[in-house]
Amino acid sequence: MLLDFHRLGGLKWVLVGIGLFVAAFLLLPILFTVALSFGSSQWLVFPPPSWTLRWYEDLFADPRWIDSTLTSLQCAVLVTILSVGLGLLASFGLVRGSFPGREAVRAMFLMPMIMPVIVVAVALYAFFLRIGLGGTLVGFVLAHTVIALPLAITSICNALERFDKAIEDAAILCGANPWEAKLRITIPAIREGLFGAAVFAFLTSWDEVVIAIFMASPTLQTLPVHIWGTLRQDLTPVVAAASTLLLLFTLALMVVAAWFRGRTK
Amino acid sequence: MTSVSIVERGGGPPQRRRRSGGGFSYVLPALVLLSLVFVLPVLLLLLRSVTEPTLGLQNYAELVESATYGRVFLNTFLVSAVVTAITVVIGYPIAWLLVILPRRWADLLFGIIILSMWTNLLARTYAWMVLLQRTGVINKTLIGLGIIDEPLTLVNNLVGVTIGMTYIMLPFIILPLVTTMRGIEPDLLRAAALCGAGRLDAFRRVLLPLSLPGIAAGGLMTFVMSLGYFVTPSLLGGTSNMMAAELIAQLIQSLLNWGMGGAAAFALLVLTLALYALQLRLFRRAQAGRA
Repeated sequence: MLLDFHRLGGLKWVLVGIGLFVAAFLLLPILFTVALSFGSSQWLVFPPPSWTLRWYEDLFADPRWIDSTLTSLQCAVLVTILSVGLGLLASFGLVRGSFPGREAVRAMFLMPMIMPVIVVAVALYAFFLRIGLGGTLVGFVLAHTVIALPLAITSICNALERFDKAIEDAAILCGANPWEAKLRITIPAIREGLFGAAVFAFLTSWDEVVIAIFMASPTLQTLPVHIWGTLRQDLTPVVAAASTLLLLFTLALMVVAAWFRGRTK
Repeated sequence: MTSVSIVERGGGPPQRRRRSGGGFSYVLPALVLLSLVFVLPVLLLLLRSVTEPTLGLQNYAELVESATYGRVFLNTFLVSAVVTAITVVIGYPIAWLLVILPRRWADLLFGIIILSMWTNLLARTYAWMVLLQRTGVINKTLIGLGIIDEPLTLVNNLVGVTIGMTYIMLPFIILPLVTTMRGIEPDLLRAAALCGAGRLDAFRRVLLPLSLPGIAAGGLMTFVMSLGYFVTPSLLGGTSNMMAAELIAQLIQSLLNWGMGGAAAFALLVLTLALYALQLRLFRRAQAGRA
């Protein structure tokens, strides 16, 4: 009755109404940003008096936007490689190993996910200042890998638990050495988990701002840090243009993810 | 364990190949990284909270006694509680819809939620900064409709923080609620109807109690996440009503007061972990109740 859409009666329309309202609430800021990025008014008047590509031209003419985007990309790619690599190894140990303290290690790997990011950020800020990693790409990559790792491990562990180890053992019985069996049988079988881990790790680094604010130097900053710095000065429509490009990027990733899921099914 | 392999159970030849108690070397690289870039720095920060400026608990004493710090933590609690309450009230019908809507519409709604969740946090916060300003669209619309005469102050205060945070947190409560509500047997509601329960009765006495574990777990998660949030409060909030994460950032980055900053960070950390432990217990009980 209550869980059957067609038998809800009048309640059905109340729920649909709330659904439309929330969908609008969720979409409003996104659509609004896209509209502003093409609007001619510097004072963010809406609806804008006319349409222009000026903010995109400003964006691409400013080397700081380009540099910070490249830093972000570089950082996110390295974080993805590192998180998937370390996460894959760790997941093998967590799912199949039987060493003492395994559950404690698993809990520790998940810790960075539940800690308030600000605590991690200030702790790393102090530490990296001391050992000279503040304001370096290595610093960015290490810090982001630590918070991306829990997501990567969760995704890979789930896939590995679903995979029947007997298949890998069979390959070994047929003469493959253990590494070959892992590489040619197990890893292709859990590719969806690996892909999920890669997407999570990439997005974690790409979108991360709190740690990056503390890690950045005047000469080296990621895209979110540059947006943050710009926002603190004024609400220029250039940020709307940058946000719109980020949105397109997210949409592209979602499409790729959906396509990948469809293909592996 | 979801799947136990046959060989492992039977103890065939490959089993002998595995050293007993093995697997530790696999987790070692990640463990080393985590120890050096996470555990050690956090411990060092905590150490500074009891050694700077002098050895002792004076930083924690100040944290408890000072009216300024007290107000920051009160603000943080207040905003987190209000955000949690709003997200539960709005998120519940949305989760319900997602469970019962015909497939195509559910997918569409789901896509919108995921899209908003995946859109860059700063991009979304920027949008709210623009929408909520005095000359922004929301004020203009309200004035145009004749609802208000003077523009409302919607940003640089706790109202702005609450709106922005609600927007960010909504998906995080909807997703666990959907999981809980999918687990509810529709037959139970049919049985309630057969026993003569009206819609309101069935909701109050069957559907709501059964979805309570999801509300509790999701609500607690929203609350905990809100407590430690930094970006949205500092962009949409004002200078006079800071939240905890901003206080920590300011103590350390602007005032270079590592002792107090460390103490405030530790207080937030303990609070967060305690609430997570509570959430884990609620979640376990919910699962036990279902089994």
